[in-house]
Parts: sequence; structure tokens; C-alpha cells
Amino acid sequence: MTTSPPTPTPAYRRSPAHRLCPVGLFGCFCALAALWSFALAQPPAAPVKDASTPAPQYDSNILPIFKAKCFRCHSGEGRKAELELSTHAGVLKGGESGPAVVAGKVDESLLYERVRGGEMPPDGKDPPAKEEIDLIRRWIEAGAPAGEDKSSSASAALNQHDVLPILFRRCTVCHGAGAREAGLDLRSKGGMLAGGKSGPAIVPGKPDESLVIKRIRAGEMPPLRRIVEVSIKPIEPSETEIIARWIAQGAPEVDVKPDVATADGDPLVTDEDRNFWSFRPPRQVNVPTAPTPEAVRNPIDAFILQKLAEKGLTLSPEADRAALIRRVCLDLVGLPPSPEEVLSFVADPDPAAYEKLVDRLLASPRYGEAWGRHWLDLAGYADSEGKREQDIRRTFAYRYRDYVIRSFNADKPYDRFLLEQIAGDELADVENAAEITPELADNLVATGFLRMAPDPTWYNLTNFVPDRLEVLADEIDVLGSSVMGLTMKCARCHSHKFDPIPQRDYYRLLAVFKGAFDEHDWLKPNWHPGLSSGQTAQRDMTLVATAERREWESQTASLQKQIDELRGAIEKQAQDVAQKIFEQRLAALPEAIREDVRAALDAPPDKRSAVQAYLAEKFEKTLRVPREQLPALDESFKKLSEEMQGRVSALEAHKKPEPKIRALWDRGQPSPTYIYRRGDYLSPGRLVGPGLPSVLTDGKTPCVVEPPWPGAKKTGRRLAFARWLVAPDHPLTARVMVNRLWHHHFGRGLVRTLDNFGKAGSPPSHGELLDWLAVEFVRQGFSIKAMHRLMVTSATYRQASAVLPEHERLDPDNVFLSRMPMRRLSAEQLYDTMLLVAEKLREAPFGPPDALAVRADGLAAAAPSPAGWRRSIYLEQQRKVVATHLEAFDFPQMNPNCIERRSSTVAPQALLLMNNSMVNELAEGFARRVQGEAGDDPVRKVERVYLLAYGRPPDGEERQTGVAALAQFAAEWLRQLPADTADRAVESSRRALATYCHAILNSAEFLYID
Amino acid sequence: MADSPSSRRSFFHRVAGGIYGTALASLLSRDLFADEPAHGRPTFDLAPRRPHFSARAKAVIHLFMNGGPSQMDLFDPKPMLDKLHGTQHFEKIAGEIENVKDAGAILRSPFKFAQHGQSGMWVSDALPCLARQVDRISLIRSMHTTNLTHEPAIYLIQSGKMGPGRPTLGSWVVYGLGSENQNLPAYVVLDDPLGLPINGVENWQSGFLPPLYQGTRFRSTGSPVLNLRPDVERPEAVVQMERDLLSRLDAIHKRRRPAQHDLDARIAAYELAARMQLAATDALDLSQETQSTLEMYGVGKQPTDSYGKRCLIARRLVERGVRFVQLYINGQIWDNHTALAGELRSACQRTDQPVAALLADLAQRGLLEETLVIWGGEFGRLPIAQLPADKNESRAGRDHNKNAFCSWLAGGGVKGGYVHGATDELGMAAAENKVSVPDWHATILHLLGLDFEELAIEQHGLKERLTGVNPARVVREVLA
Repeated sequence: MTTSPPTPTPAYRRSPAHRLCPVGLFGCFCALAALWSFALAQPPAAPVKDASTPAPQYDSNILPIFKAKCFRCHSGEGRKAELELSTHAGVLKGGESGPAVVAGKVDESLLYERVRGGEMPPDGKDPPAKEEIDLIRRWIEAGAPAGEDKSSSASAALNQHDVLPILFRRCTVCHGAGAREAGLDLRSKGGMLAGGKSGPAIVPGKPDESLVIKRIRAGEMPPLRRIVEVSIKPIEPSETEIIARWIAQGAPEVDVKPDVATADGDPLVTDEDRNFWSFRPPRQVNVPTAPTPEAVRNPIDAFILQKLAEKGLTLSPEADRAALIRRVCLDLVGLPPSPEEVLSFVADPDPAAYEKLVDRLLASPRYGEAWGRHWLDLAGYADSEGKREQDIRRTFAYRYRDYVIRSFNADKPYDRFLLEQIAGDELADVENAAEITPELADNLVATGFLRMAPDPTWYNLTNFVPDRLEVLADEIDVLGSSVMGLTMKCARCHSHKFDPIPQRDYYRLLAVFKGAFDEHDWLKPNWHPGLSSGQTAQRDMTLVATAERREWESQTASLQKQIDELRGAIEKQAQDVAQKIFEQRLAALPEAIREDVRAALDAPPDKRSAVQAYLAEKFEKTLRVPREQLPALDESFKKLSEEMQGRVSALEAHKKPEPKIRALWDRGQPSPTYIYRRGDYLSPGRLVGPGLPSVLTDGKTPCVVEPPWPGAKKTGRRLAFARWLVAPDHPLTARVMVNRLWHHHFGRGLVRTLDNFGKAGSPPSHGELLDWLAVEFVRQGFSIKAMHRLMVTSATYRQASAVLPEHERLDPDNVFLSRMPMRRLSAEQLYDTMLLVAEKLREAPFGPPDALAVRADGLAAAAPSPAGWRRSIYLEQQRKVVATHLEAFDFPQMNPNCIERRSSTVAPQALLLMNNSMVNELAEGFARRVQGEAGDDPVRKVERVYLLAYGRPPDGEERQTGVAALAQFAAEWLRQLPADTADRAVESSRRALATYCHAILNSAEFLYID
Repeated sequence: MADSPSSRRSFFHRVAGGIYGTALASLLSRDLFADEPAHGRPTFDLAPRRPHFSARAKAVIHLFMNGGPSQMDLFDPKPMLDKLHGTQHFEKIAGEIENVKDAGAILRSPFKFAQHGQSGMWVSDALPCLARQVDRISLIRSMHTTNLTHEPAIYLIQSGKMGPGRPTLGSWVVYGLGSENQNLPAYVVLDDPLGLPINGVENWQSGFLPPLYQGTRFRSTGSPVLNLRPDVERPEAVVQMERDLLSRLDAIHKRRRPAQHDLDARIAAYELAARMQLAATDALDLSQETQSTLEMYGVGKQPTDSYGKRCLIARRLVERGVRFVQLYINGQIWDNHTALAGELRSACQRTDQPVAALLADLAQRGLLEETLVIWGGEFGRLPIAQLPADKNESRAGRDHNKNAFCSWLAGGGVKGGYVHGATDELGMAAAENKVSVPDWHATILHLLGLDFEELAIEQHGLKERLTGVNPARVVREVLA
């Protein structure tokens, strides 16, 4: 097992500079340069180590180099990457990427790697001399001695912020906000001094007398046998020592204000950073004069034509009406038009026929189901928690789905829609409302938006602080990618590599959410019933609309009343039977004692005389038959009681579970927020307060946070954030949304990267149009339907999709919209359309999702249902089981959400459409419908099939092909069917039509939209 | 790797025999991608690609031993456990235990270790068949991971992150190398017919890579691939007529829409679907194997039949040019929380002979040189006992351990008879030449000629890789 020692790998990604300069090679070179003063004069040739050389010291040798070369960015309040080089402790502690220097280990010292590799100082600005770099290396090798600097010594001054993070991660789960075991609250020095039932937890100046230290050192706290239950790890000895040192120093507190924006401005984000196009509010843009004004239907076309003209192109001619109605129907409501709609639209002489059609579609309840689905992708909607083998169901998640569908149908202004989803619990005091209106309840249900991330924290072993931070990171990712168009998540572990988003801003955002999402005071997801073991449902709340609750209560009460009456009747009967038996058996006793026995048993046990007590003991058991033995003794009672019991069970089954909601709920007492270096909760850095991404503000105005109403037990932080986000001049909110709407209508966003408007995102193909749309969106009161109307009534949208030779040459990727893109149906469009044409679509909106059934071979589909199926948006969305027909056509896994669906073309799709039994069944349904609507004439059959499936009549060739195929299929079926088949000719003709319909459901024209 | 002559012959024999009609044979003679127009756009496909640098391994068989096989009872003898048997150790490792309430004292191994092969590798008597193949394997004793719970640990070892949503190892490999056989999926999963492993189908997800690169489940009974055969059987002539009609309809549609390239891809997908029906059926037809081969793998006898079949199918798939084959086993057989002595032995009895046969068979056919075989689970087990509710020590098992586990590699480009790394004296934690999961990933990619830093896809402006932002190093010591 002898090999050369591996090349150490630096703890960060190698830059090209590192490749040119392998560590080992340079390391050897450096090692030769022992004396930097000597090296100044001539190339290194001295012995590797010289014991007589005094080791460089931080204060005298290193600090001056740092001061000259590094302090500009890495000291004081404005320090970058959280790196403070002005103290020895700061150097060892390091910054966002971890310790800057590891004593004695050059290879693990990031600072040395960066400086030697030429990455720091950046851009080659005034680099340190080679001799200085060498000195730093020798200093690290010598153990990075501090010299006179005492900042990192055992005697260095500590304050409460060195100690509180330790207590939060090891102790406050039992001695904090929630449980306050032994009456002790360790979340503040005040709480420690007040102590618990055993006395104060700390005695300032006397660690050995402080209970907290004594208990920890005795191994009693945190109790090792119990920590897993509450998802914490044992306390480290080094952590105990810090607490002890702090107490020894007198438990000093310093007044550290959380880092928020101040009037001094932001040293980490410059005005130049703020100047990037997407970080400035959308401009008021004048609509250009189009080169061909007659082609302009609305301002969109003017912008598009202008760019097309620059390429030597113009808009394609308008699509024919049949293509247009199929396109706009599938686009706006997710389903194709009926034959009647097609025929009347094609024949409609009204010049505004198309606009009227668009209005009809936007008013259809199907619209919310189609566009709500797009939003659910962004939210990462799922009906289960995911991440663990038991994919715990989210019983009430569907309420959020319904809220989204209703909001789209009602054209809820987008600003309001966001306010509700981000801060609905802080919009009004629902808890103390005299009546919870459906609107108030919706405010809470809306916050389900930020409860959609995969979440394993219901289980104690996946509920440690890092697991919770992962859930939080996903929620921030959902928010950033869907609404903000920023890759905020990148700043979790380090400042953003491309955008001016310092790590600090990520943690300021975490502070915004901390009232509800506190990694040290965590509400677990619902634990599903049969499994409860001391676990309680923490997240589901009973704050549903009062009317709904009353209805449930009265329904439950009425059922209960019937149950009680039935039970009462049984018991009455039981008493009669018991009395009957009593009399019978009493009559069997010698007459002389009968009445004495009766009197004895009638007397209360404590009032019986000695004789009566004797009689009672002797006869009570025989005469007074216990209730449970009655059915065995009386046949008719047995029958009656069984029958009544059956009715009780039936009534019990009608009881509905208590209505509940899932919501994000600010609880008003967030723990402090520290920047976690490298995203590691064990390395807390600077204390930060709630704040907004600096680059989207002036960097000077703090986020104003107020309680949402007087006396509110809520921080109001999310409300402040949400109000800022929906301000009319917000640089991103309107742009990101109109871009997304554009993407759905036209196949690609004006900004291609829907979730990334930052520097690594794509620049807009039509920047002025994007801004014009954003401003128009706000001007129209954030009406989403107004934007649909604008986009789909443009000439740009109405173009044909044919690819012309000049398109291939000048606009191959259709960036300039020289035509409409041809697109494949989405998973839902395909499934819902097949149900519709087969007359198997059951339009029953809302409510609990429809269950999936999983076949032995793994195929998952909606459970068989003779009455047909609901639209796919109502199918249960477990994380571990996705309906096969949806998955095959690119239905996404929500991890945590889906920004843009892919549209793949793979063999399993063909296999599914050709071989799957449900598709077969739908083809049969389709054929039955055609037979019913078209009768026996093959020409009419073919015509009906085309109208239903393709939204147009067939042409001559197609009609002929269809009729010939029907005849051929019928002949073959006739040949194949057993001779004794009833109505063989009819059956073969029926099967022929089903086979034909099956081919149509598989055909490209059915699957693609022109 | 081309099809071996024998399998190719039988393949065409079956086509001519016409289970799905002779018209399909014409589809087979055409190269799927040959006449596809190059339209200069980035496309994702499974065409074979050259690796970053030349490498011996061309295909992978991943024997995923989900559950966490016990290192100190199979591959990593620890005499100190015998010495300290019965000693309390709880306080020292309290933060590393899943089931704290059941934690018992130090537990010696109930298995006997001996040295095997020319290399003298130590293997316990639970694995008598593998013991005869040790000179073909590189054993890593110093693996470690980051979570002691199945789900996150499995996500990590499959995809480089402790949660769902990222491409799995197999997806990265086929994304990087494509496939040698366009009639079969590039990444085949042979799951246990008795049920899915923990994390289910997420084990072979393609994450943010296109679904083209996700694993396809092959079943050893019934229809090998979902929807591969019609749920409702119809006469072959009718099926063929329908196919003909469909081709005509699609031809009309396409003729009127020149230069819509998606339509070409769609037609290609239908053709591939037809070819896959034949190729998959052929690959799974074990009746083509000799009796002695079947016996070698333990096919036809218990308890080896099920896993033996999958190992044999894995060889047949690799022979046919499938790039990545992954085998699963149901029932958490390696997750020996109780009755270690009996349950671990039984897990070995189900798998030992098939696994050893796979190595020997690949070697005798000259396939081992080009095939990388990987064996291992998601974590290891603790040196202390986990006691059942009645505290009966004779039924003790071992709890999860993220700090140490064993894994081995064999075949293409891997040193034989080599042991890498070491754990501490109790086997509690990797101590020497530690190998992290990202290191392990980097090494596997390297063995296939893929540079783990270069195999990437642009995602949100970042170059996403299997190893993510984690530091990783190729364990060069195991390279031949």
C-alpha cells in the first residue's frame, strides 16, 4: 500500500490560475526561500528551514502587510466576505469561506492560497511582493503566532454573542421559547440569571459555581440519552469552555446592533452594481414606430417588428382560424375547442370574433386550472412532504391549490396575490377576528406558497438544524427563482459569484422569515395519524373560514346527535332486557326471600345492613347480568343491538375530519440571526437584522418593520418585505412576471433565464418591450388577464408557425418571433385533452386530490373511475409516485420547484401512447362518441374525428386515407374476430373506429400545436 | 463494445421470426441518428461520446447494497472488538447513534476472518465465494459519509447531495458517454421484483439533466419495460396496420411543416420504441444461457435465484453495449439492526454467489477489463451493539454509522487484490487515507475517462457537477 502522498486539494474550486501553478511545485519553490530578507537580494538557495530564524509574528510582521494590501476590503464594518484581518482572531476565524489561516497548515490556509495564486488582491491591484507572500507562508508554518495581539488568546474578551449561538443550538430546544423545562430560559443573559427551579444558571465571574457549567461538565446536560428525540447534537468541550470563559469574564454583554442598512451606505454593494439593467426600475418606453404599421395590432407588434426589420424579417402571415382557435384555447384554458366552437369561430364574420373568443376563454373557470398549474410549478406544489421513505401526506395542501386556481380565475391583482402568499398571516388579525371570512382564511392558505418545499423534519433524525436550514434554503430558492428572478440561494454559503448579493443579504432575508421559520424553534410538519408517538401536529391550523367551520360543526353535531339517540335507544333496550332477566331469575328464588333480596339489591351498597350485604353478595352476580352478557342471553336484543351498531358506524363514517389549513405563521419571537460562514450553523458570524437585497435598494434605507397591528404577536417582517416587493417601481417584480407570461404564450421568455435576471442570466432579447410590458402591467393594476389579452391579441401571437427558409437562415432559434413556435402539448394538456375528446372528463373543481393507483409493474395512474376523471391538476401529487402518463411527458419533480418545463421527445412516450391500457380505453371512448355523433357513414366519422382531435375538418387526402383505413381495419377485425362473435360486422366496424381513434391519439398533429 | 456475435445472431433471428412483424425489421437496419439533419443547436442524445481521456472501463455494473453492510463483519476485521466486547462505549459516540435507547456495549463480530487469494485480503466467512475473487477487487476500507439516516445518505451516494433533485451517478455517466446500443436504454436499473429500495425511483433520477439520462427500470418478469408490451393484446396484423396508418398521418403532417425538427425526433422516438421491444426482450431472455452458466450464478435455486438472475442480466446488458447497469435488492437486507449473526449471513447467502459469479464470468469472457463493477452501500455500522426491545444480547444488531464503511471496485482500470485506507481500532471511523463520497464519485468517473471537474452542465449560471462544490480527489491508489 505504498504510494506517493496525494496532492492536497484546496477546499474551494480551483481557478485556472491554480492549474497553471500546481500547489506542490510552487510549495517547493517557496520552501526553498527561507529567509525573505535574503531572498530579496538573490534567488533562493538557502536551506529549507533554519532553526535560528525567528518565527514571524502577526502583530509585528504580518499585520503591516495586511494593512497595506488587504484592509481596504477586509477590515472594519464594510469588510468583504465577512473577513476581518485587523485582528489575529479575525484571521483565524476567517470569513464566508471558513478560516483564512490554519496554524501550521499552509495547504489548508485559504488566505495563502488566494494570495499566492494571484486571486487576491483582485484584478492584480497592488499585489504583495513575493517576499511578503513568503513571509506569510513562514508565519503560517510557524503556527501563525499572534505576537502581542491578544484577540485570539484565552483571555480575549467575549460577549453574549459568542455564547448565545451555542445555547441556541444545544440547549434552548428544552430551555427556550417552546418547552421551558425546569422553568429555565437560556435565550438571554437575563434568562440565565433568573435561572430555573434549581436557581440561577450562571454566576457571573464564577463558572465553577454556575449551574449551566456544572451540569454540562457532569455530562448531565444536554442529556445524551434524550438529545436525539429533540434533534440536537451533544455539546462540544470547546463550546463549554467558551461559555465558561464568558462567565469567568463576568458574563459581559455588549450592545451589538444587528447589521442592517444604514445611512452610511453599503460598502459591499456599489452604485455601479445597482446600475445593471435589471436592478433599475423598468423604464417608461415609447412605443416605436413600426416599419410596417399596417401589421401592428397592438404595441407589442411594434417592438417585435422593429427588431425583425433589423434582421431583414417581418411577421409571418396570420395563422388560419382553425389553427388559431386551437392554439389560443389550449394556451388559455388547457383544452382544445369543441367542434361547434371551431365551426362558429371559423365562420364568424365579426372582425372582433377573435377578441370575443379570448374574452370568453379568460372568463372560463378552466382558465384558472390551466394557469394555476403554471403557478403551482413555481411554488413547487406537492401533496406530500418528500425526502423520506414514508412520504407523509399533506392532507390540506389542496387548499393552496384551490386558492391559486380561484385567484387566477378572479384575476386577483398580482401585487395582492404576492402579498397574500408571502405575508398573508400578517395582513389581518385572523386569530382574533369575530368572524373569519373566506377572504381572511384565504390570506392564511395563501402562505402555503412558502410551505411547499420538500420537508423531512417531521422525523427527529432529519430534523437537525442543518435539515431545517435546507428546508429554509429551498423556500428562499422558491421565492427567489419564482418571484424575484434572482438566484438568492447562491448566497447561502458565500457571497454571490456573479451578482452583487453578499452573503449578508441572504441572512438578512432569513431574518425576514425568522418569525415563522426559526431553525431553533421549529414547527414540525404534520405527523400522520397512525404514527403518533408523543408527536403533535404543529403546522396544521384550525383557522378556516367561520362558515366552513360552523357547517362542519353543525354537520358533526347533527351526526353526533343521531348517534347519541341511537345509543340511547340501545341502552334503554338493554335496561329493559336486564330488568326482564332480573325478574325472571328473582322469580326462581324461594318466595320467602324474594322481596328481601330485591330490597337488598335496591339499597345503595353503603347503606345496606349486614344481612342485606350478605344477600347482595350472594345474589347480585346472578340476578344483575352485566351489560356485555345481555346479547348472549337474549336473541332479539342481540339482533337489535347489532343492527343499531351498524347504523352508528355508518353515521360515524359520515363525519368529516376537522377542517384545517397549512399556513406560514409568524410567532413574534425570532431567535437572533447570525451569518453562517460557509452556510455552516456551527460557524456563526455577524449578527444581522431583517433587510432587503441591497442592490435593489439605495443601500442606505433600512427595511422598516412594524407590528402589523397594535399588540400583534407578530414581527411584521414579512409584511414589510412583501410590501417592498410589490411596490410599483420594484425593479424585478413586474418584469419577472410579464416575462413569465410571455414565456408561456410565446415559448421562450424575453429573458430566456426565467429565474435569473442577474449577470449570469441571459440579457433580454427585447429589453424595451420587456420594460414597456412591465410598466403596462403595473398601470393596469397588476391585472394578469389584461396581460394575457394584450399578448394573445397581438399580431405576433396570431402568426402562423410555418418555418420558412429565411427563418432558418436569419432567426433559427426564433429569438425574434419571426413565426409562432410549434409546440408539443404539455403533460396536462395531453391528458386532459384525451379525457375531453373521449368524453371522460369530469369537470368537478377543487377539494381533496384524486388518489393514484400504482400497478404491480410500477405504472401509476388515476384510480379507475367509471364516471371519468377530473383534470390532471386534481390528481394527487405525491413526491415518490408520479402519474406515469404525466411523468412521461415531462411533468416535473418538485425539488423544490420547477421554473421551466422541458419538452422531451423520447421512446417511453411512444410506448405509453401505443401500449397503455388507459389510452386504449380513451380511444374506445373517443370512438363511441364519434359513432354517436357521426353515425355509420365513414366519411362523417373521419370528419368528426378530425374536428374533435385536430380542431379542423380533414382535406381530401386525409378523408380518403381515413376512410380507407377504417375499411381496412374493419376487414382485418372481421377476419380476426371469432366466428361466434355476436354482431360480427358491427363489432368489427366498432373496433375499426377505435383502432383509427387510437392512431389519431398517437399522431403528431394531436400532440403538437401549430 | 459491439454486440457479441452470438447475441446479434439470435437478435436477428428473432426479428425474422417476427414476433412483431417483418416490417419492423426494416427499422432495425437504419441508424437512428445517421440521417437526422444537423441543425446546429445544442441537443441532448445518447450517441456514443469519447471520454475526456482514454480509459479501460467502458461500462459500469453498480451493485448497490442499500441498507449499510457492516464493515467490521465483512471486510474490516477488528480484533480490538473481541478484546473490548461488552465494554460500554456510549458516552464517546452519543452524537453518532440513531437509536439511542437501544445502544448497547461494544460488540465483537460473530464472523471469522481469514486471509484469501494471493493478495492475502481479509474477508469474513460470510462471503466464501467473493473470498475466491479478492485478487480482482480493490477494497476501500476508509469510506465515510455525512448523514447516518438512510434517505439523505442514499441521496448523497447516488447524486452527490443529501436530498432529491440532482442527477444520479448513472445519469452523469450516460450524459458524458452516451450509449453503445441505441436500441436499449443507456442506463438500466434492475430493481428487485419484490419492491423498490428506499427513496424509490429517485435513486435513478436525472435531476436537472434531461429525462433522457434517467435510469430505465427493467423487470425480470412480465413486460421488461413499462408499457413495452400492450396492456391489451390486439392481433398483430391490426397493430401493424395501425402503425402504417400512423406513419402515413405523420408523414402528411410533417410534409406540410418543413423544417420542424421536433417532428423528426418524434418519429425517431416511435421507431426506437419499436426496436426496443425486440432488443429488451432479447436481452432478458435467459434461456439463451447454458445450464452451467445459470448454475454458476445460482439461478434456479434459493436463495440466490433472484439476485443471480439480475447479475446475469447485467452481464448480458453490458455485453450489448448498455453503459450503466444498476442492481438493487429489496427488503433492506443489509440494514442489520437486529440479529446480526443470522441476518447478515442470510444477506450474504442471497448475494455472495451471484456477485462472485458475475466477476468470474465477466473475466472469462474478457468483459471485466472493460467493465467497472462497484459494490457498496450508503454507510456502515457501529462497533457497539444495538439491542432489541427485550435486551436479548444474542439478537443484537448494529446501528448505522456514517463515519466508516467499506466499498469495493473491480474490473476496468482497477488494481486487483488491493486494500485502500483504514479505520480506527474499533472500526468506528475512517482514519487513514479517508475516502469521501465525492472522492468515490470522482474516482468512478475517472475510471471511465471522465474528468469530474469537466463533466458539467450549465445551470443557473453555474457549472453543476456530480461532486458539486465539494472538494474531491481521484483515489489514484486504486488505479491499475
